[in-house]
Amino acid sequence: MRSRSTPTPCRSALLATLLLSLVAAAPRAAGAAAPTKVSLGATLPLTGAEARIGGFFKEGYELAVEEANQKGGLTVGGKKLPVTLSILDDTTTQATAVSLADRLVNSDGVDFLLGTYSSHLVEAQSTIGEQNRIPYVNGGGGATKIYKRGFKYLFGTIAPVELLGTTLMSWIDVQQKAGKLPRPAKIALLWENTAHGKDFRKGVSDFAAKSGGAYQISVDESFPLDGKDFSALLGKVKAANVDLFLADAHLPDYITMHRQYVAAGLCHKVVSYGARGSEKGAVDALGQENVNYVVSGVWWSAELGKKPGLAKAFVELFTSKHQGRKPEWFQALAYESARALFTAIEQAGSLDREAVRAKLAALKIPSMLPGGTLEFPASMGQQAQNPFVLQQNLPDRTSPIIFPPDAATGTGIAVNPRCPK
Amino acid sequence: MERFIDLSLSAIMLAGLYATMAYGLGLIYGVLRVVNLAHGGVIMAGAYLGWVLFERWGIDPYLALPLVIVASFGLGILMYRLLVRHLPRGPAGGPASLLLLFGTWLVLRNVAYLLFTGNDQSIRTSYSTASVPFLGTYVSVNRLAVLGVAVILPILLQLLLKKTYTGRAIRAVAQNADSCTLVGVDVERIYALTFGIGTALAGVAGLLSATIFSFNPGFGSGELLKSFVVVVLGGLGSILGVGLAAFILAVVEVFAILVLPSYLTSAVGFVMLVLVLVLRPGGLFGHRVLG
Repeated sequence: MRSRSTPTPCRSALLATLLLSLVAAAPRAAGAAAPTKVSLGATLPLTGAEARIGGFFKEGYELAVEEANQKGGLTVGGKKLPVTLSILDDTTTQATAVSLADRLVNSDGVDFLLGTYSSHLVEAQSTIGEQNRIPYVNGGGGATKIYKRGFKYLFGTIAPVELLGTTLMSWIDVQQKAGKLPRPAKIALLWENTAHGKDFRKGVSDFAAKSGGAYQISVDESFPLDGKDFSALLGKVKAANVDLFLADAHLPDYITMHRQYVAAGLCHKVVSYGARGSEKGAVDALGQENVNYVVSGVWWSAELGKKPGLAKAFVELFTSKHQGRKPEWFQALAYESARALFTAIEQAGSLDREAVRAKLAALKIPSMLPGGTLEFPASMGQQAQNPFVLQQNLPDRTSPIIFPPDAATGTGIAVNPRCPK
Repeated sequence: MERFIDLSLSAIMLAGLYATMAYGLGLIYGVLRVVNLAHGGVIMAGAYLGWVLFERWGIDPYLALPLVIVASFGLGILMYRLLVRHLPRGPAGGPASLLLLFGTWLVLRNVAYLLFTGNDQSIRTSYSTASVPFLGTYVSVNRLAVLGVAVILPILLQLLLKKTYTGRAIRAVAQNADSCTLVGVDVERIYALTFGIGTALAGVAGLLSATIFSFNPGFGSGELLKSFVVVVLGGLGSILGVGLAAFILAVVEVFAILVLPSYLTSAVGFVMLVLVLVLRPGGLFGHRVLG
């Protein structure tokens, strides 16, 4: 006969669950009563394939936190609270990004999450924010499919790549209407077979479809990442005799493809590799003479800092900290992600996650991003829709912004002067 | 016709690249019966060595070939002496060798991350984008040079294997290591030499690839996969088969663009791999040990 004092397995499990729940709830209950700091957590790809960019995002996050703390911290409920940021290395792998985010939330007890870099990591990791009902603000996941899952706690400061295609076509359209490009203009559209490439393709092809015959897509081909040979693909482009060469590629493929493009003697009135073009790595690998007049679109450029405003202040802050080195869009988006979260926390006046989520959802603040305002429209899955800025490489080694006109620091050259007339 | 010439030239150039990548893997498997999974790591190391020689001392990649060969050969000998020779021989050593060499690859990769960070690097020479006109089209000078190396390498390998004592010993060990021990061949030395030569060939492949592609410490995985396809297609252990398989693979991949979307063309090789493994497991050119 079982003694009454001996707990049954069922009772033991219940008791253990109760105790664990109390232990787990204790820090948050105490924190809610009297928060002494704002605790943020993030993972970044500090090693692995995306280590370089992960380092850039870290710089952006750290700058935002330092700036907030230099001002005495965030004002939460009338009290200044310092901000702490725990950054862990997710090694550019999805599983690590997910498990470390889970640790940050459930073991380290951070109040909010900032996102990692690259779409595939953000896509996987953002589920942790959703499951734990904790706001997750990122500037590194640009693929639209991430924001089409109906997540409530996910916010993206990075505009969809589709807008890159749209912005590029908008500039081309201006040039065509000015008589600098033929009508109809024939397009070779090459895109990497990833979410990034598919979004770019949609932006360009949707614009072309609505143009009333102003554009004709003659080549529409995708290619695998890290391709070894693009000559057959470029042969197709050559045979199609197109006017505009619009590709979307990551840096390694841009370098391989453009080397073959140049070696094959190809030249088109407009040449673009999407977001690639003006970075130092590409210029070093291809030579300035071979990247001249390439048009690229980016989410943000330090060129924006040439005009007074938030971008100028950010560029000055960053360059003073990093011995004159200029920031790229990676640091800018990381900084803006952190700043958006800080603003929402201050507006909420508490560290209550639901209140902060609501403020993020309704956020509309002046921003250094193109367009000048940052918001997370619910209709777009809480992904910011700021336009891209287009830059063009010039022989004097500068890459001024050529579009949109309100951000332009130079004039674009529509017909590539390198091509024989 | 112009399109056909374009595609044919592309296929020949690509075949040169594939063959260069695969020779080392084929040689090591042919003699030691070890699938060298560290092959991708050595390709990456060869790329970085070439880059350092070019960036620091301005040595042209093709002039740096002897240095890279010597350094990679040394690395191969070291890997054999420290690691591979401790593996059990025969089928029992299969899984162990896979794990050991995969681990070696990871170590090489992480050392590269520590030394060079994850940034993409590339070698840009005066001929990186140069081309020569040929039959109404243009041929990349650099890819032509890679093709040249790809043609010279098997000739040198054949001369080594057929005309020298060491080469004959390598072939003999590949056929029957136990009998070689009975007639006084130092089998361990031959294994070490073969592993060294195979690794040196991987280093050369890395250097040549670095003149064409950008690379980072993750470089080499795609190259290993492609090398594996070529070696299996050609017949494990057949050096000439490797060259011919590289040509067939390149032709199929390049001409596939006429009927397939571009992103599917690289998958054609894997379809061929599966078909060959099912229909002709010894490879297209049979199981001829070292030619």
